[in-house]
Amino acid sequence: MRIQGLLAVWFLAPALGIMTIFYLIPLGVYLLNGFHLFQSGKIVPIWTLRTFGSFFQDPFSYRVIGTSLSLSTVVTLLDVALGYPIAYALHTRVKSPGIRALIGLLLFSPLLVSVVVRTYGWFILLANQGLINALLKNAGIISQPLPLLFNTWGVIISLAHILLPFSIFPIYSIMTRMDPTLKEAARDLGANWWKAFTQITLPLTMPGVITAILICFTLALSAFVTPQLLGGGRIQVLPLTVYNNTVEINWPTGAVAGFTLLLLSITAIWIINAILRRLPSI
Amino acid sequence: MLATSNQEVEVQLVEVTKRFGDVTAVESVSFTVHKGEFFSLLGPSGCGKTTTLRLIGGFEFPDTGEVYLNGRPMGRIPPNRRETNMVFQRLALFPHYSVFENVAFGLRMKRVPEAEIRRRVTTVLEMVQMSGFETRRITELSGGQQQRVALARALVNNPRVLLLDEPLSSLDLKLRLQMQEELKRLQRDLGTTFIYVTHDQGEALAMSDRIGIMNNGRLLQVGSPMEIYEHPSTPFVASFIGDTNLIQGSVDFVDEEVTAITASGLHLLVKRAGWETPGDQVYVCIRPERILMNSDRETGNVLHGKIQERLFKGHFVQYRIHVGPFTLQTTIPYGGSNRIFGMGEEVTISWDPHQAVLLQADEEGRNFDGYSPSRRDERAERTASTR
Repeated sequence: MRIQGLLAVWFLAPALGIMTIFYLIPLGVYLLNGFHLFQSGKIVPIWTLRTFGSFFQDPFSYRVIGTSLSLSTVVTLLDVALGYPIAYALHTRVKSPGIRALIGLLLFSPLLVSVVVRTYGWFILLANQGLINALLKNAGIISQPLPLLFNTWGVIISLAHILLPFSIFPIYSIMTRMDPTLKEAARDLGANWWKAFTQITLPLTMPGVITAILICFTLALSAFVTPQLLGGGRIQVLPLTVYNNTVEINWPTGAVAGFTLLLLSITAIWIINAILRRLPSI
Repeated sequence: MLATSNQEVEVQLVEVTKRFGDVTAVESVSFTVHKGEFFSLLGPSGCGKTTTLRLIGGFEFPDTGEVYLNGRPMGRIPPNRRETNMVFQRLALFPHYSVFENVAFGLRMKRVPEAEIRRRVTTVLEMVQMSGFETRRITELSGGQQQRVALARALVNNPRVLLLDEPLSSLDLKLRLQMQEELKRLQRDLGTTFIYVTHDQGEALAMSDRIGIMNNGRLLQVGSPMEIYEHPSTPFVASFIGDTNLIQGSVDFVDEEVTAITASGLHLLVKRAGWETPGDQVYVCIRPERILMNSDRETGNVLHGKIQERLFKGHFVQYRIHVGPFTLQTTIPYGGSNRIFGMGEEVTISWDPHQAVLLQADEEGRNFDGYSPSRRDERAERTASTR
């Protein structure tokens, strides 16, 4: 027992070391700036809560927080709404394991491309003279190009796209763990397809859905490159506030924004975990 | 011969075939099950018995042939629109519902009024001795209790036919025997038609009115437990139902009442079957308990052998006896005037030709690897003697 305990410490030591030296300490040092002041282009190293005060008194901060939360929520809902049917189809309709692996790879492939390359790819698709507008125009659906770039739509579409695998895989994974005879039992007891789905499959796959929500929401909340590039400076989210203030040497305000982001993420994780604990396990 | 008095047909399969890719799971199976009958499908795993049950329940549809329920062809009618209910091998209880909600599920799907649901669920839980467990979660129940809930969940719908897919296979022996009795009692009391799938011949013999024996997707024989025990139709059936000695030989000549067989130098007499002609390759099937040892009532076949193995089984003693090139198994009741024979003892064994059955060594019989003809394995023999 003691030897195993020592062994565990040695196995964990490298990871803990790296996390502490390269993540926790820098994060702490940076966040400590929140308790300093930024005045006339300089950080004043006095201990104060005034930066917190001015950040939370500024209505702009709440707009940023609001944009961050609503953007992440919409992206998350979109991904779960798209991801669930894909996972369901992948699990129930694709019989061949080879084809299933191929589709899985295809769905996963966006993650293999650099975020910058992928974002510029979206420029080509979403621009006024881009592929989507050209197609819609040629099809006669629209006469004027839809504004898809440098606004919320472009950011939502692109974020939803990149985060989709994070929604599909937890849901798919829980579906494969569900006893398939449960559905048959429901059918046997008189449930039609829809009843069997809503009464049995959906409730029993909820833990996967919750996990998908957790991953998508926290990743969307902390997304930086996509809102930065596709938002064209018009979409202000918390990670951008952190970045913009930091490059302007306003570390105190950046740190306060960072604190806020961290707090929102932790709260989201806490709420979602609380829901997850209440769900029945399969 | 049927144990049921009511001869109304409830389930009928006509030439049903089901393939999965290249594998033919069920091949041209036909049988009928009468109303109120306890019918078992018995066979080794992979014989097609579960697929047959699923075809009746509507979980699979036949490639050719037809399943009739109460005279109506079922075609591609899904399970939710058939008057059958299934007890699944893995039980498939809903983990997110209480015991009550599990049992009520079928009634809720049929929009039965709440008061009636309450009454019927309570009654059926009483019937399976699970009263008081209504609010329990499935995960809080033992295996036997889950078994009862699964049964209640199916029975509460008053199905015409209850389909049971090895429902007792996960229980330990004692509980299994107890549940067998309870199932049989329930079936008698309710008068519901039961179709019961099992690989356990003891279970099938004990509970069934009739048994259908399957192997390799084919239905080999249908009959009452005693009919099948007394008159197995193939070597496979003979060895699958009960213990048996199968002696391979060829027909010497056919007399009016008996047929003479030569089996590796042994000459045996067996009750005439009718189909045999001299030269036919056949098996003689003789049950271990029909063989007499050192008896003063020696008749018909009298052979000399040497006891190779003795197993005390409680109420009987089982011997393996080397007779010429064969190893024959006998069982003698323990106690009374029966003496216990010693290892290596020379004995005379005998049996009445009318107690043995002549079986065709047909293609199917030879292909099956699950039964063991009584011929000794010469190689194993040599290894044993050098030790």
